[in-house]
Amino acid sequence: MLSEKIQKLLFILPTCLFLLIISIFPFLYSVYLSFFQAKLTKMHKKFFIGWENYYVLLFEDDVFPTAIKNTFVIAFSSITIEIILGFIMAKIFFEIRHIKFSNTLRTITIMPIMLTPLCVGLVFLYILNPTLGIFSYILETVFGIEPFAYLGLSLPAKISVIAINSWQWTPFMMILLLAGLMTVPNEQYEAAKIDGANWFHVMTKIEIPSILSFVLLGIVLRLIDCIRLFDIIYITTRGGPGISTEVMAFFTYRTEFRSFQIGSGSASAVIILIISLIVTTIAVTLLRRVEKNEGLS
Amino acid sequence: MMIRNILITFSLFLLPMNSLLAVDWGKELGDHSGVDLKVQSIMDPYIDAVKEISPQFESATGASVTVEGFGYDGLHEKQIVACSQNDGSYDVLFIDGIWIGEFVEADCIEPVEDIWTAEGTDKSVIAWDDYIASFAGQAIWDDKKMCLPFGGYWHMLHYRTDLFEAEGLDPPETFDEVLAAAKLFKDNPKYPELDGGYAMNMARGSAAGQQYYEWIYSAGAQPWESNYPGSPDAYADQRGLYNSPESVAFIEWMQEMVNYMPPGVEQYAWDERAKAFTQGKVAMINNWSVRTPLFNDPEISKVKGKFGVALFPHAVGAESVPPVGGWIACVNKHSKNKEAAWDYLKWFASPEIHREWVLMGAPPSRHSAMNDPQINAEQPWTPVLYESSLRAWQELRPRHALTFELIETLGIEVNKALTGESSAQDAMDTANKKIDRLLKSEGYIN
Repeated sequence: MLSEKIQKLLFILPTCLFLLIISIFPFLYSVYLSFFQAKLTKMHKKFFIGWENYYVLLFEDDVFPTAIKNTFVIAFSSITIEIILGFIMAKIFFEIRHIKFSNTLRTITIMPIMLTPLCVGLVFLYILNPTLGIFSYILETVFGIEPFAYLGLSLPAKISVIAINSWQWTPFMMILLLAGLMTVPNEQYEAAKIDGANWFHVMTKIEIPSILSFVLLGIVLRLIDCIRLFDIIYITTRGGPGISTEVMAFFTYRTEFRSFQIGSGSASAVIILIISLIVTTIAVTLLRRVEKNEGLS
Repeated sequence: MMIRNILITFSLFLLPMNSLLAVDWGKELGDHSGVDLKVQSIMDPYIDAVKEISPQFESATGASVTVEGFGYDGLHEKQIVACSQNDGSYDVLFIDGIWIGEFVEADCIEPVEDIWTAEGTDKSVIAWDDYIASFAGQAIWDDKKMCLPFGGYWHMLHYRTDLFEAEGLDPPETFDEVLAAAKLFKDNPKYPELDGGYAMNMARGSAAGQQYYEWIYSAGAQPWESNYPGSPDAYADQRGLYNSPESVAFIEWMQEMVNYMPPGVEQYAWDERAKAFTQGKVAMINNWSVRTPLFNDPEISKVKGKFGVALFPHAVGAESVPPVGGWIACVNKHSKNKEAAWDYLKWFASPEIHREWVLMGAPPSRHSAMNDPQINAEQPWTPVLYESSLRAWQELRPRHALTFELIETLGIEVNKALTGESSAQDAMDTANKKIDRLLKSEGYIN
């Protein structure tokens, strides 16, 4: 008879093995490779260079630091837009929840989440085409603005990426915040009405404090998503013009699979992981604190 | 004109007469019944002709041939990753000539010179001297013939004959003339259908990087110390000259040209550039010859019969050095069907089959094809193409193992200058610094 402890260990063994093979070994191998000058085409000639890959990435080259900065600019801007628009949309759907077609409308609204980012990128690539796209056509015919390269110039390209990203994920934030609004007890609204509170008071004193944990959950999930942002960049701007929309995941892909610089690519992957861990830890700690205190105050 | 005639006459002497004789393929090719030969190719316009001609090989050998096409970056990625895993899924690899150093370094290809020496292949089947030298050099690495060239491309200036005739202009020869013509056609109320006077590859990465190499020699500059047309050893001293005054002046010229190009040109790569010309949106482009037949295809082109070609333009005081590129066919070192792959290569690249293939709309790459009356009749731009091929410089772009990374690095900086993110001087200073660091890290320079 096996002891209970051994039985338990045997039960978790397959999962541990799976994690070891699929996650832990590749990660450790990646860390190992990050200390080498290694190219995929001549792995047998790789040689140890210590921290040099990290030093070059972070202090000598301007591309990776710019990619880190761009990732956070895009993440911060997108998430802010998503929260504001998501909240407005959630409020609308909350108010019309008793209307007959509100469920159908809600389903239609969340359709962008169901599309793959690759398709979204392709669709916007055509929409934003300066000679053939509908966006140019509307700007020119309605506002008389001459078409220009929305994805080919630095600031417009960055704004376009943020807009595309926000367009796809605002419905996700909306669903989350709508769920939050649904949890607000009806009595609180009735009490506020009796006390003569206006819509602004209701929003700031009742609704926002009640859905704060939902907002933070949305921020954590979207932040993790934005740190991995790749598909939309790959399709629409390829990190350009110049390096103005270069993001961390795309940089790593370029280094690993276009230049085949495995050492440098592994170093950037490790840095991304560390940044993700730090950001996620901070966000989750904050989320737990909010959940514990039911508010930030 | 006189130089052109001299070059053509001289090259005709080089043409081996035996290359025009038909080969007894029954004797030359083995029986490969049951073999499924897989060919990995770029999705360039010639791929349909490869698929169309391959059944002849199937009939002659009993093998079945599958040709699969991929995009440029995707093909490079797939081939290198597969090679690193000793993957033999594809037997024949069509690779860009500039990748040769990388593929040799990665030990992906079986040198064809070794195969034909071991086999004792009849030299008239290979007819190496029939290849145009500037293109044949793309298949040679460390003085060894690694692959068989088959799809040579050269750049020509493509211009709208109807528009130039209406303005009483000759096709431009110098950079100044190109600029003046582009300026004339941009936003000209007489030609409302035009979005710009000229279109170039300006998208970040490979597109802009390759564009730089395509123009730099005709701009009277050179990318690194020992690389200039006619250099005895282009790789002897690779210290960068990307920020030389001539190179910076060329980037400044490109910056000025952007003003006379279609909106969105900052994102143009090969397809967008060709599409703009095909749709009659620009008056001029520089383009690889492989796409020239498409401009004459009435199903997709609005400029059929309304365009002409001319030699690649040059700066005042410099000479035209037309860019050369194109595809070479290699035997995958990890293939299990090397014999069938080699038979396919020597059959497909032979002068006889090459001629047939070109007549299906593919690009001519041999002296015999360039001088073939029927090809000249069906592809009337062939004389200019031939002259371009004879003037081209084979080391136009670096062909060593860092080529892809180097071109991409350069392309980012060039694109920054063209989109106004950097000045021409800053962009090229940065490019020079980054490329030198890259070359140092791999031991190409000290």
